[in-house]
Amino acid sequence: MTQQRSYRVGADIGGTFTDIVIMSSTGEIFKRKQSSTPDDYSRGIVIGLGELMEAEGIPADAIVELVHATTVATNTVLEGKGARTALITTRGFRDVLEIGRVRVPRLYDLDYEKPKPLALRRHRYEVDERVLADGGILTPLDSDALGAIAEDIVAEGLEAVAICLLNSYANPVHERAIRDALEALLPPDIFVTCSCDVLPEIREYERTSTTVVNAYLGPIVRKYLDALSGRLRKIGVSCPIRIMNSAGGLMSIDAASRKPAYIIESGPAAGVIAGAYMANLAGYPDVITVDMGGTTAKAALIEAGQPARTTEYEVGAGINVSSKLVKGGGHSVKLPFIDVSEIGAGGGSLIGFDGGGLLTVGPESAGSVPGPVCYDKGNDTPTLTDAFITLGYLNQDAIAGGAVRLNAARARMALDKVVAQPMGLSTEDAGLGVQAIATATMSRAVKAVSTYCGRDPRDFALFAFGGNGPMIANEIARTMGIRTVIIPPSPGVFSAMGLLFSAIEHEFTATDFRLLVMDAGDSFLAGFNRLDGRARDAMLAEGYADAALESEWFADLRYQGQAYELTTPVPAGQDGAALLATALDNFHAEHKRTYGHANSANPVELVSYRVKMRVVRDQSDDMDHWAVAPNDAPHDARRAVFPDEPHQEIPVFNRGHLVAQARPGPFIVEEYDSTFVVPPGCTAHVDSFGNIVVTLGSEIR
Amino acid sequence: MIASDPITLEIVKNALSSLADEMALVILRSAYSPIVRDSMDYSTAICDRNGEIVAQGLTNPIHLGAFPDVMRILVEQHLDGMKPGDAFLVNDPYGGGGMHLPDVFLIKPLFIDGALEGFAGTLVHHSDIGGLAPGSMGLQATEIFQEGLRIPIVKLFDAGTINGTTIAFLKANSRTPIELMGDLSAQIASVDACERGYVQLVRKYGSASFRGFLVELHNYAERLMRQQIAAMPDGRYDYVDYVDGLGDDPRPIRFEVCITIAGDSVNVDWTGTSPQVQGAINGPMPTTTSMTYVALRAAIHADIPNFAGYMRPVRVSAPLGTIVNPTAPAACAARGVIAYRMLDTLFGALNKIPGSRIPALGEGGPSVVSFSGWDEGKAWIITDGILGSWGGRSGKDGVDGISSPGTNLSNQPIELIEARMPLRVLSYAFAQDSGGAGKYRGGLAMVRSYEMLADEGLVQLRSDRRDHLPVASSGGLPGSPSYTWLEDGGAARLLPVMPMGPIAISAGARLVHLAAGGAGLGNPFDRDPQAVLGDVLDERISPDMARDAYGVALDTAGRSVDAAATAVLRAAATTAEQLTAQQQAIFARTNNAARLLG
Repeated sequence: MTQQRSYRVGADIGGTFTDIVIMSSTGEIFKRKQSSTPDDYSRGIVIGLGELMEAEGIPADAIVELVHATTVATNTVLEGKGARTALITTRGFRDVLEIGRVRVPRLYDLDYEKPKPLALRRHRYEVDERVLADGGILTPLDSDALGAIAEDIVAEGLEAVAICLLNSYANPVHERAIRDALEALLPPDIFVTCSCDVLPEIREYERTSTTVVNAYLGPIVRKYLDALSGRLRKIGVSCPIRIMNSAGGLMSIDAASRKPAYIIESGPAAGVIAGAYMANLAGYPDVITVDMGGTTAKAALIEAGQPARTTEYEVGAGINVSSKLVKGGGHSVKLPFIDVSEIGAGGGSLIGFDGGGLLTVGPESAGSVPGPVCYDKGNDTPTLTDAFITLGYLNQDAIAGGAVRLNAARARMALDKVVAQPMGLSTEDAGLGVQAIATATMSRAVKAVSTYCGRDPRDFALFAFGGNGPMIANEIARTMGIRTVIIPPSPGVFSAMGLLFSAIEHEFTATDFRLLVMDAGDSFLAGFNRLDGRARDAMLAEGYADAALESEWFADLRYQGQAYELTTPVPAGQDGAALLATALDNFHAEHKRTYGHANSANPVELVSYRVKMRVVRDQSDDMDHWAVAPNDAPHDARRAVFPDEPHQEIPVFNRGHLVAQARPGPFIVEEYDSTFVVPPGCTAHVDSFGNIVVTLGSEIR
Repeated sequence: MIASDPITLEIVKNALSSLADEMALVILRSAYSPIVRDSMDYSTAICDRNGEIVAQGLTNPIHLGAFPDVMRILVEQHLDGMKPGDAFLVNDPYGGGGMHLPDVFLIKPLFIDGALEGFAGTLVHHSDIGGLAPGSMGLQATEIFQEGLRIPIVKLFDAGTINGTTIAFLKANSRTPIELMGDLSAQIASVDACERGYVQLVRKYGSASFRGFLVELHNYAERLMRQQIAAMPDGRYDYVDYVDGLGDDPRPIRFEVCITIAGDSVNVDWTGTSPQVQGAINGPMPTTTSMTYVALRAAIHADIPNFAGYMRPVRVSAPLGTIVNPTAPAACAARGVIAYRMLDTLFGALNKIPGSRIPALGEGGPSVVSFSGWDEGKAWIITDGILGSWGGRSGKDGVDGISSPGTNLSNQPIELIEARMPLRVLSYAFAQDSGGAGKYRGGLAMVRSYEMLADEGLVQLRSDRRDHLPVASSGGLPGSPSYTWLEDGGAARLLPVMPMGPIAISAGARLVHLAAGGAGLGNPFDRDPQAVLGDVLDERISPDMARDAYGVALDTAGRSVDAAATAVLRAAATTAEQLTAQQQAIFARTNNAARLLG
């Protein structure tokens, strides 16, 4: 008997659907969309996976890995359903958490509500102790006080404890002592976490908030992941489970249980990682990804094959309106995130007018119930999807292979009544106008990750997926001056597929706040070596082989006096002096590129070391299975409208029609999970990986 | 056709505002000094070819009216001979349109194919621009000549070439030349980023169409503003509030405003306000107009784009020679304190308009504590703004720990201060029993205390609201007063709200600042007893305060409301004056020098 095939599973949970993708060791891919089960999302995974295994005859013991992207952490915060949490901090500073950075996210808004602190003031305990900025101890820890605190925590019915002391980034000895004491004093089901284990970085509010978020999520995420592995075991799947973190790396299920603050943006990260993987493969190392669903559009920048990262994030702020200027909408989590900018515009976005008479699209959404007017479920206010159907871009009768019936006439009537008549426009011109506004709104998300960071979007290709991304991708590209648009295969379940192509990766940091004087090379190298050793030990403890570990070094640097650091690559393998010189050169160059100026004479400060540990694994890049078979069967046609073009009958293709030859727009590509519009003046073909690649005309509107 | 195309207009409006945000982000990320990057005391603007604002990257509302005057003067006096690659520098309030000397404007005209199409403007509060006090905000200045380097409108760049003479003057006049140049570089990067985006935007539509769009958008903003004003009942609404005053023997400074709503326009007049003073808190007119716009925009609950057209229905006037419209050479470096009082006065007047939803007053603007010294020939300065709290609002409590709506500044991380400066922060917290009682409680006051670690240095203080408390609304109680104590080699002494000059301190000196608390809204006896209990459990108020100011009695364990006893307390005829007196007595007991200095 030949060796049994093995399988890897990707599972991505969304608000509406749980997407399961299974890939075999020989490259076969099986997909399933399963309704999500909000009461316990792990149930949906196991149902979907079980059915798919049965249908395809895949034995449970042949599954060697399950990779999972989950929204459980972010939902816990958004719904306020986290653990009852205590905070232990330095005497005099229990309000640091609640004071925050004191800015209001919207100017002139006197109704502003500050996010409720995740640890109530009555549950924020102060202890006598004081560590100094240089790590020295001014006041020893009063350990005797911990017994009473532990009793109170139990009496108050608290479920999690965060420990964050002032200046603990410089010396964690008191935090560790408190952690060890409480773990001995408290029942084991109470989740205990301290800042030196979650985020040993300078800035007391951000560190405290991150640690408290970690505690608040701890018991819930632990319970969820326990349930998931329990259910999987019940159907015989006992392979390792890995969780995607917000930075796009994979964590073991144990690490995710201990540091759930790292997996908040697990879902969006999966899409970006998938985009980076596929775009690299197809020969486009520089792309901007746009992932648009029913209510939001998310954009991310990928440069030289690497997604852009950020460590500034607020959880619970609702939709990130792409202004990074004003904070205060949510709880700060200063951990590595893929820099995703999110805008409240999707297929379900409602159309209306503001007080001054300007047309608006979103951010309010019709959701999935009642949904767009064309769903015929009682909504009368037109949405972006209704504009698309009116323009002839969407199938006039049904989508999702007939599963969702559409009423095009109602959509058209609503658009006519709400937009066209009041503005004195034809219904089609109203539809085009709505599309133009939506395009402008989404362009803001694209700008937030490009021009705001000093990158010119015209140097990038646009990589679009999600249910609605492909529909509007070409218009966004036109607006931003982007010449190439890529639509990957299966754009609707693309994120789940991406999980199978992500690396096991974890980032470690250590703050060492000081000036980098010329002779600091040796201590600089020593700092990296120390952190690298710590990172390696942590990975070994998770069971990875030393030989499989690969580390990358970065330093967070800035000019003395600046508030914000630039994470600067520092190539390892040099002596101290060379390491420092390279780091400084890279910093000046990166500063010049990002802000347009640099001054190599100015003193540079080190803030933190960063070490990224990656597990190298054998991964076949044989992507022949992505290839799409040519199709020369007859195609459909329907009438559609484009700016400055008369109504015309245009072809409706499937992907196979674009394999043998590039075709000029206008045409539409209709697929099971998505619809893609190629306007006039563009040409499109399918490449050897199954991507549709569109080249926009030279004329830029 | 252009006029009736709301779609293009929406797109252009968004493109301009995101470009202004981009400018602001460039400064935030690359500025050097704490007051810019941590406190965010700066703004950006894009103006049309006439110098009228078409977008602002607002980080600080106090700058809302900063650009119109300076742009008007620039366009009137320097339009001839302006060429591509020029950029102008200015900070002078007298003749230059500036606000106060630390706020340095950099403005770059934007040309396309040789034609002027607009301006990119930035305004940054620099850490030190010279003068008699470190940080250039000494209260004791009596003339602007003592406050630092005055920069009339000069070219920093001439056709792309930087003016080395100007740079040399700037560096020679600042105690912190490296920070000054770093922040100025950030400003240059910001206007250059604007130029790239603006040129691309104008070219997309063509100059003629684009100019037309801007005219339409000015009209659109004006239309929105007029709609909102017209919705307010016609009438005259006036109000008076005070700043406690300067120095050891402060005399109250009066702010009087009269807001007249007539149809769809509004007139705001400051007649009745005190004359200018011999101290650095005079506020030249751009500050006065800024605060007027801020108050109106906060009052009208509508999202109005930052096109100058919205200013057309608003007329602001103030008699020359008053503290809100001083004549040269009145000193003005610390004018922030009166800006916030103007905002309070305006809120007081707007609150009289039937149907308004103005909160009870907040802490009255950030207090500013600044420490400085010399270390091996190099100056160190930290200007720390201590933010406050908002007053009670209709339907909800005030906010504990928040920036004044007039400024939206941020706070400086304690760990950064301790890692960089010879200072230790001893506490940063809410003060129990502060804030004003009310059906909707005023926000708690902030406490921040420091210990000096260097052998010697100076401390300066700018605060207010000790005698004239944040004013309550609809039967609530006033906010709590502000105090600052300094302990240096022995006993603690109470500092005046605005000492006229820096105070020398030595190692081990401790300073504790207690900001004012927000005022309450509505009768405190109407507050939900469960909310009062929650505040007691959270130690925001003491059981004494619950009983004496809210009429709420708790059970002996202090864990639940004693409903019967509460009913008795609340049935007693207690006047607001009695409640206020009881509230202030408890506040004084809880928050005094001995307790706060430990």
